Order: sequence, then structure tokens, then C-alpha cells
Amino acid sequence: MKAESNLKNVLTLNNFAVTAECGPPKGADPGAIQKKGNILKGYVDSVNVTDNQTGVVRLSSMAACTILKQEGLDPVLQMVTRDRNRIALQSDVLGASSLGIRNILCLSGDHQSFGNQRQAKGVFDIDSIQLIQAVRRMRDEGLIIGGEALSEPPQLFIGAVANPFADPFDYRVVRLGKKVAAGAEFIQTQCVYNLKRFKEWMRQVRERGLDKKVYILGGVTPLKSARMAEYMSTQVAGMDVPDDIISRMKGVDPKDQRREGIAIAVETIMALKYMEGVHGVHIMAIEWEDVVPQIVEEAGLYPRPETPEE
Amino acid sequence: MITAERKPMAEIKAMLAPYRKILVVGCGTCVAECASGGEKEVGLLASALRMDAQMEGRTIEVQEMTIDRQCVYEFIDKLTEVADRYDVILSLGCGAGVQAVAEVFPKMFIVPALNTTFIGETKEPGLWVENCRACGDCKLGYFAGICPVTRCAKGLFNGPCGGSKNGVCEVDPDSPCAWQLIVERLDSAGRNDLLEAIYPPADWSRQQGKGPRKIVREDQRSES
Amino acid sequence: MDQKTAGLNITIFFCQQLDIDQDKNRRTLEKELGSQIRFFPLPCSGRIDPLHLLRALESGADMVYLIACPEGACRYREGNLRARKRVGYAQKLIEEIGLEGARIELITGTAATPATIDTIARELLMRDATVGISPVRSKG
Repeated sequence: MKAESNLKNVLTLNNFAVTAECGPPKGADPGAIQKKGNILKGYVDSVNVTDNQTGVVRLSSMAACTILKQEGLDPVLQMVTRDRNRIALQSDVLGASSLGIRNILCLSGDHQSFGNQRQAKGVFDIDSIQLIQAVRRMRDEGLIIGGEALSEPPQLFIGAVANPFADPFDYRVVRLGKKVAAGAEFIQTQCVYNLKRFKEWMRQVRERGLDKKVYILGGVTPLKSARMAEYMSTQVAGMDVPDDIISRMKGVDPKDQRREGIAIAVETIMALKYMEGVHGVHIMAIEWEDVVPQIVEEAGLYPRPETPEE
Repeated sequence: MITAERKPMAEIKAMLAPYRKILVVGCGTCVAECASGGEKEVGLLASALRMDAQMEGRTIEVQEMTIDRQCVYEFIDKLTEVADRYDVILSLGCGAGVQAVAEVFPKMFIVPALNTTFIGETKEPGLWVENCRACGDCKLGYFAGICPVTRCAKGLFNGPCGGSKNGVCEVDPDSPCAWQLIVERLDSAGRNDLLEAIYPPADWSRQQGKGPRKIVREDQRSES
Repeated sequence: MDQKTAGLNITIFFCQQLDIDQDKNRRTLEKELGSQIRFFPLPCSGRIDPLHLLRALESGADMVYLIACPEGACRYREGNLRARKRVGYAQKLIEEIGLEGARIELITGTAATPATIDTIARELLMRDATVGISPVRSKG
């Protein structure tokens, strides 16, 4: 028996899933990953490891996932199409599976011009949807792009991302439909601050019956400060932080702003939990992973369900 | 057209340093349209080079010539009678022009004055924008006449990334999001089929398969 | 005349619309100064090309003026505005070879006191010189 994805097990048993994001260090230190993993262990079902997020060079997602796996966590390998062509991507898909990694999240990746290697050549040989399709076909049919057969197919639970807050709004659900048709089995969304817009997007998702075909995990990022709220609202494209969230953060004494950020995150999780068609939450506490246990507990999502494999 | 921009004077000067007799050659086609390598630009550069040499007390001889096309032999041939009187050719052609001239005059040293930038259109006077990457497999029919390979910063084939906001690209707020335009145009053309279709991985071998690409048309070839 | 810019070669490009009798009006000055002054009438200052300005400097001018109509008074609406950009471009070009950008100057006429081309030119000659003899000429 091959070990299954814990995330897949949690979701297929109709539990409300909790995943968290873990950013690898800008160095070769395995301790940093182990430390973050141990903070999250037991509080989340799976841990995503970002792939050179925002185009900044970090310890590789594959290596960090392997370390987390050794620590007894269920890692989600994030894989962007920005840095590798289809040869390298497919090779890494096989490599990940061989190392016991059981989840993959397919993304196009932030543009290299945002990072610390701005003169790098952006690869973008294939896009995120084409990657989803390729991984699905490798797993289900044992075939790589072009149709050659694999000696052993990879075992991976396949995920993708969705941003309900980017434009053109009405196309967002169409694009989600394309990702599902390409083979995505779970979706992690951009951070939800604008619940009104998220609800409208979910209405469109249900209208198309997509919530029956894919597990949707709403993204949640606790705000550390009013300044962070303003920065995300104005400086980060595709991020929608409404004015009422910003003024709520501003209305609190700076030393209590972290507390307020946690409260907003917990409220958002509760709202997502009772929203039809939402199957879980994905907590992205940027360089603040140690707050995740508290949020999970306050949201009433602790302890996490035991699944057959764990 | 092929667009280009003039290199900084210091770079051109450094490349020309060993030479005294300079033949400055412009091209009357693409680079003339984008005001970087036509007759006027040849005049400006030649004048600047002469003044610069004069100020530094160097004697140089600069001849200006602009041919209709630097990438076609019959036009390059117009340089044949004069070329050997010079030590160097300073070409204001695009990369194709520079190389074609170099090939016709194997004994001449040739130096580029321009940085060839992209295939684009003249959007308005003084504004040129890139809109083709010469991928060798035109997909415009599927994308309502807007090229995602060129005009989407990530070259995405299956819809806008999460950085499309208010119609602009997060990578460059001065550029429209190509996918916003594609979605709008496909929508108004009633092509929902194309909006929902998954576009397969591109065949990049048509762009960079086995090194430099060639087009052979037997009906156009000479007998010998 | 009492020329402050004595010894300098001056080239003046100007818009003909400024002075209908420019042909006649500049003759006295041309005789007086000989090769030290050169006039080039243009149908509109917008017709100036950076190449004209560079060629003038190359053929020995120490100072090149372009005289345009006042802003808002161009017969062709924006010729004088375009002239400003062309002058800016030419200035950048000569600065790249180490020649002062100030050797090229745009002079915008005033609508209030329409003047003849020779009076404008004499005013320019009476100004304090901002540049000396051009290194293109002195070292050439």
C-alpha cells in the first residue's frame, strides 16, 4: 500500500480541511523547515511549501517537502511554471512522488521581475492549467506530454489556485472551470478579506456545479498590522482588502493590532466554514507560522481528524 | 516592423576606436520607420561622430549611406563599390541587416549601432509596442487577434493570472492585461467555446527547434 | 555693433511666421557680421530636425538658436511645442559627445511685442554669452 495524501483523506471523508503555508528559508538550513513543521504539526492536515515565491531564491520546495515528510507532516509541493520547462517539471513530478510527497499545487508563479533575480529568463514553457493536465495524465494514464509511457505513474493529489479578487471578475469562475476540467482536485484561493465578493464568486461556482467537482479551500492570511493591511490593499496586485478591514485594524492600538488581525482571521474562517461549497481553509501566515495553532484552536478546528493513514 | 534603439554613444565609440575610415550604413525600411536607423539617424550619428573626433583631435573619415534594405542582397550590393575604401562598417540595420552585410563583405569589420528590440507596431507617433514574438505557430485566431505569447507577461495560454486588476497587468501598470482584452473580445464575438477551451502546450520547436530557422520556397529559388 | 557675443559664430533657425519681411529685415545684419551669423528661415519651427541643429554645430556654429512663435500662437497649432522636444533631443545627443547642451537654445517669441527678425537677433547678440568658442571649431 502506498501512503495516501492526508489532505485527500480528510476531504474525501467530508471533513472541513485545514492547510497552512510554510515559506522555506533563504538558505540551506533544514532546521528552519523542521521548526516551522513542528509548530504546525497536529494543527493542520497538510502544509504547502512555496516554490521560490515572488521570484525570490529560497530552499527548494521539493527539499523542504521532503524534510516535512520526515517530520511526519503531509506536504503540498507548490510548483510554478516560471522557472522550469516541461522536461524539468515532469521530472520533478516523478521525483516528488518517489520521495513520498503526495500533494502538488500547480501555479504559473509570480513574475520574475518582482523578485531578487530580475534579470532571469522567465520560462513559462507551459502554463498552470497545462501543468495540471500534464500531472493528471501522468498519474491517471501513466503518460507524459507527447504520449510516452511511464514505468510507474506518480501518486499525487492535484491542486490549483484561484483568485476570486482579480479581474475580469466574471471570467474567474470560467477559469476555475478550466482548471477543474484540466484535472484539479482541490483549489486553494487567494486570501479572503472581501467576503462579499467571495460569496458572489462562490455563488457562480455553485451555479456551475464546480463545488461538487472540486474541493475548495478559502485562503486566510492574518494581518499583523494596519500598515500590512494598507500595503496589501495598495501594493499587492490581485489582493482585495476592503476599507472596513483597514479601518478596523487602524481603530486598534498598534500593540493590539496582531490580536485584531487574528480575530479577523478567525471570523473569516467561521464565515467560510458555513458557506455552501467551501470545503476547508488554507492559512497563509506570512513569516508568522507560529500563530496558526492559535487560529485553528480559536476557530474550533482543533483537534484535526485522524485519518486511516496517519 | 523590426524595432531598434540606438546604442549609447560610449559603446559605439569603444567599438569604433581602432578604426579611422568609417562607413555609416542606414536602412530605409523597419528601422527608418521606428526612427532609429534611417537616413536621418545616419546623419545624426555621423555628425556626432565627426564632432566628437574633432573635439578629441582625432582625424576620422565618415561616409554616410542609406540603402533601402540591409537584409536583401540586391540592396546591400549598392555598398560593393565603396565598402573597401573603409576600415569599418557601422551598421544602423537590425540584427538581420548587420549580419547580412557582414556576410556580403567577409573581409570588412562590422559594428552594430543599434540594439534590435522587437517586432511591433507604430502605436502613435513616437510610440512603438511589441506584439509578435515570431513563435512560428500563430495562435491569434484562437485569441481574438491578441497574442498572449507576446502581450501577457507570463505568456499564459489559458486565461489571466491573479495579477490582472482593472484591466492592467501587475507586472507593468502601463500595459493592459492581454487576457482582459482577449476575454472581452472573445465575449463580444460570442466565442464562448474559445473562452472555455483548454489550449494545449505550445510547440516551441517551431520557434527554437534546431537553431536558426529557415524557410525554403522552391518556386522562388534560382536555377543555379 | 556692441556685440557681447563677439567672436562667436551664431546660427539662427526661425519661424517665418514671426516676421513676414524677414528676407529684407535680416540683410543689414548679415552684411554687418558676415559669416559670423547665419539665418535659416523655416515655414514653422516645428519643421526643425535635430539633424539641422547638429549640422550647424558641425559646420562651425558656437551657438544655435531656434526662434519659435509664442506658445498657443503657432499657426500650425503645435509646431512650436514639437520644436521644444526636438531641441531637447538634440541637446541630449550633443551632451553624449561632451558638448554643452546650452549651445542649442529655443527662443520663444512674445505675442505682446511682435518684432522683426533682426531686432530679435540683435537682442540675442547683446546677451551675455553662456558658452565660449565651440571645441568642435577650436580643436578641429
